[in-house]
Amino acid sequence: MTCRTAGIRLAAAIGFGLAALATHGQVDDSGLFKGAAVQYLFPEQVTVAAGKASDVALHFRVVAGYHINSHTPREEFLIPTTFSIPDGAGVRLDKAVYPAGTDFTLPLDPTDKLSVYNNEFTIQARIVAEAGSHLVEGKLHFQACDKSVCLPPKTIPVAFNVIGK
Amino acid sequence: MKRNTIVLTAVLFIMATFAWAGWANFEYRQQAADHVLASVAQGELVPDPAGGAPQYVTPLKGKPAPAFVLEDLNGKKVSLTSYKGKAVLINFWATWCAPCKIETPWIIELRNQYASQGFEVLGISADDLNRDDPKEFAKDKMEISQSAQKLHINYPVLIDGGTLDKQYGGLDELPTSFFINRKGTVVAAQLGLTSKDDIEANIKKALGN
Repeated sequence: MTCRTAGIRLAAAIGFGLAALATHGQVDDSGLFKGAAVQYLFPEQVTVAAGKASDVALHFRVVAGYHINSHTPREEFLIPTTFSIPDGAGVRLDKAVYPAGTDFTLPLDPTDKLSVYNNEFTIQARIVAEAGSHLVEGKLHFQACDKSVCLPPKTIPVAFNVIGK
Repeated sequence: MKRNTIVLTAVLFIMATFAWAGWANFEYRQQAADHVLASVAQGELVPDPAGGAPQYVTPLKGKPAPAFVLEDLNGKKVSLTSYKGKAVLINFWATWCAPCKIETPWIIELRNQYASQGFEVLGISADDLNRDDPKEFAKDKMEISQSAQKLHINYPVLIDGGTLDKQYGGLDELPTSFFINRKGTVVAAQLGLTSKDDIEANIKKALGN
């Protein structure tokens, strides 16, 4: 293992650790929700062909009792869930394919169907990686609610290591 | 050998200095965070002994409502103190908040019903605003305005509600409402979508009925 690879793995481990801390939302002693309602699950590392578009399935989990808008909410003012990769990471996001939302209705308004993700969902990210090992620090932007309250829009880190061969 | 010892000592000293600096920085940040937290009027959800939905309890209850001056959608400054003598419902909402859209028609109906008794509603948008970019700021305001029109809101809509999060207790969850009596005292608060009856009961408290 070269020093560079070891460094990237260490950075990835720290990144995943920080991401886990940042994404683990829960109800605190006051009964109010703190943290993020979505957690990035895996993969931690993928190996792809350098310079070629490759599909990577990114897995997420929504905290029990909450939902987030799908990528295509029905109401124009609702905030869609979006995944992005910042420029300059050695990895480019060519395209993201989002799952279809599931219908959800608030108990007090059963006529209005929302398009949401809950439990676990997967985004298919088509990436193009340069040769080498890259720590990707992607971002998932979303807005979560339960059946009676909404949390402010949030962006969580989606950190994974990409090895382009 | 002696040189190695000196280098090792120097390295250990530098590492110890970094460790101490890191710890001191952590302690400082922790104290600063505690200080900020102590200044936030954070409410809490308390289980209902009768088995109903948890009740939102705010430390502001029984205290003067924190004063504020915010802009409305036309850029006019609106001060809470100008409503003294009226019972006021401060309703924090956002364009992206689906439960807010359910309770808004109830609030409009109740405002119409109780306005003659000296009741008013201030709808305060918690939507983020990009004040650094005039075009984005105008767009943000336009979206709030369109959303308010779509909901047929007929009471003043103020913007920049996020600036009141410390005074009014975090505002991490929406909708959140505060009910203020004619003397400017907070008499009740609600977190989340409850029912029209709950809102009306708190309006009556604010009116002193």
